[in-house]
Amino acid sequence: MTSLRLDAAAWCLAAAWIASGCHAPDTKKATDLPRNVAGMPIDSATAARNATLEPGALATVQAVPVELWKGPGDRTFEVALRSAAPEAGHSRMFGTITLPIALRSRTAAISQYPCTSCHLGRKVVMANKRISDAHNNIQPVHPAQTGAVCSTCHSADDVQLLTLKSGERATLDESYRLCAQCHFPEAKAWAGGAHGKRLDGWQGRRVVMACADCHDPHKPAVQVRIPFRAPQIERPRGHYP
Amino acid sequence: MLHKRVDRRGALGMLLGGAVAGAQALGACAPLSAETDEEREVKLLAWREYIKGNYRFMTEAERAETIARLERLAELQRGVEVTIQSTGAQPGVLFGYAFNISKCKGFRRCVEACINENNLDRNADTQYIRIFEIEDGVVDLDKADATFQHEVPAEGHFYLGTQCFQCADPPCVKVCPVGATWQEPDGITVIDYDWCIGCRYCMAACPYWARRFNWAEPEVPPEEVNPNQHYLGNRARMKGRVEKCTFCIHRTRQGRLPACAEACPTGARVFGNLLDPDSEIRWVLANKRVFRLKEDLKTEPRFWYFSD
Repeated sequence: MTSLRLDAAAWCLAAAWIASGCHAPDTKKATDLPRNVAGMPIDSATAARNATLEPGALATVQAVPVELWKGPGDRTFEVALRSAAPEAGHSRMFGTITLPIALRSRTAAISQYPCTSCHLGRKVVMANKRISDAHNNIQPVHPAQTGAVCSTCHSADDVQLLTLKSGERATLDESYRLCAQCHFPEAKAWAGGAHGKRLDGWQGRRVVMACADCHDPHKPAVQVRIPFRAPQIERPRGHYP
Repeated sequence: MLHKRVDRRGALGMLLGGAVAGAQALGACAPLSAETDEEREVKLLAWREYIKGNYRFMTEAERAETIARLERLAELQRGVEVTIQSTGAQPGVLFGYAFNISKCKGFRRCVEACINENNLDRNADTQYIRIFEIEDGVVDLDKADATFQHEVPAEGHFYLGTQCFQCADPPCVKVCPVGATWQEPDGITVIDYDWCIGCRYCMAACPYWARRFNWAEPEVPPEEVNPNQHYLGNRARMKGRVEKCTFCIHRTRQGRLPACAEACPTGARVFGNLLDPDSEIRWVLANKRVFRLKEDLKTEPRFWYFSD
């Protein structure tokens, strides 16, 4: 039974690889990276502005255009850079209060960033069994289900980058390129606008969050929490809505 | 003054406004009067507010005047500096909303944002948005629970939020005996709080329980008042008036998302222009299986539900 599942997972990955190869017109070499996380500076003024948005003003979220996907009507859209600017797109002002607007806080989630503080540029041999040594906060779900190991997603040469099935590499902000290799229905809905989250305005620039801004890749389930208070005045049940 | 054409309301305003001003002048002379200048100003402004017309039929100048009065009154009576917009509908825009019932986890972050953004009465704890917890496989909203208060998402349940659906054929507008509520060109049904007489016919007519009545003077602590306001939206309401969700008219007419959509941490809320074929809302309507509540009533809500 287990071997059957692994077999199915391998087929799935293979199919995803073919799919990504077929669908991706991008033929860049692994060496010419489109963007570098470390090379994206964020000034504190932009960060502060995004944290508490002035009324009536659209946010100036740091974002880069999405290359492989098109939004509705073949319009281009942008994806917010959050590992370069963890504060960006993190909280907004409603009336006089500031609320977080993302499901997870990237600032806390990438506490071990930059990876090079431990992985000093050497080629890392990543084996699944060693996860508990350094990354004991990780609850791997993908490895258990699909047989993936660290290097299935993370580049072994440069741990701050992701590796795609095509051999290309992507920055941590481009998690959509990695995830979409298998989760293509979600990627389609994300590009269309039914999945994911658009930031700030319905008009003008379309800036959306990337996959890992909501889903923790190492712990994808939504965590339970206490909701905001229930209404005091409510219709009796049986008279809804 | 006499050769100018004035309507009944205008004449009444001029006459009695003059009387108030005259009484004030007398009061100013009387040394025993305990009234301060500010109190007199409040009285005069309140009187002018009382005799003003329906917002829909005001000229631009009249709108500017009433907004200036309201801003001054907010400063004098509540001690808050507010900016009240009269921003009109953008041409070629019709707002629509889609709600993903697979994504909503019942955190009610939208409710929290809505209360603060729209200056909702903290005393009565008015809430425009309701989130229903429904067991998987159940389609009957009567079996839902809107008062859940436990850790969410609960196993085996899904969540569905309601608010004003901004119907294309709104029954609430039809029943208003004084024309205090109407549909704007961008599809938002609004209320002129100063014209509302508090008869609550609209509340009885709404099949979605989207309207709220102010049984007492709404209370918002001055430090929590959102100063970014709209005449037809989140400006201060009074006792005995009906209010409701306006898709955050003060935000959406400036191209921003409504507070609920922006605050939603799961991305369950999609908002946009229905007249733009390349908008996200149109993509959802074209590519997802959508439904609306009580479609048989033909109120044509501009609020759709969909699932992944």
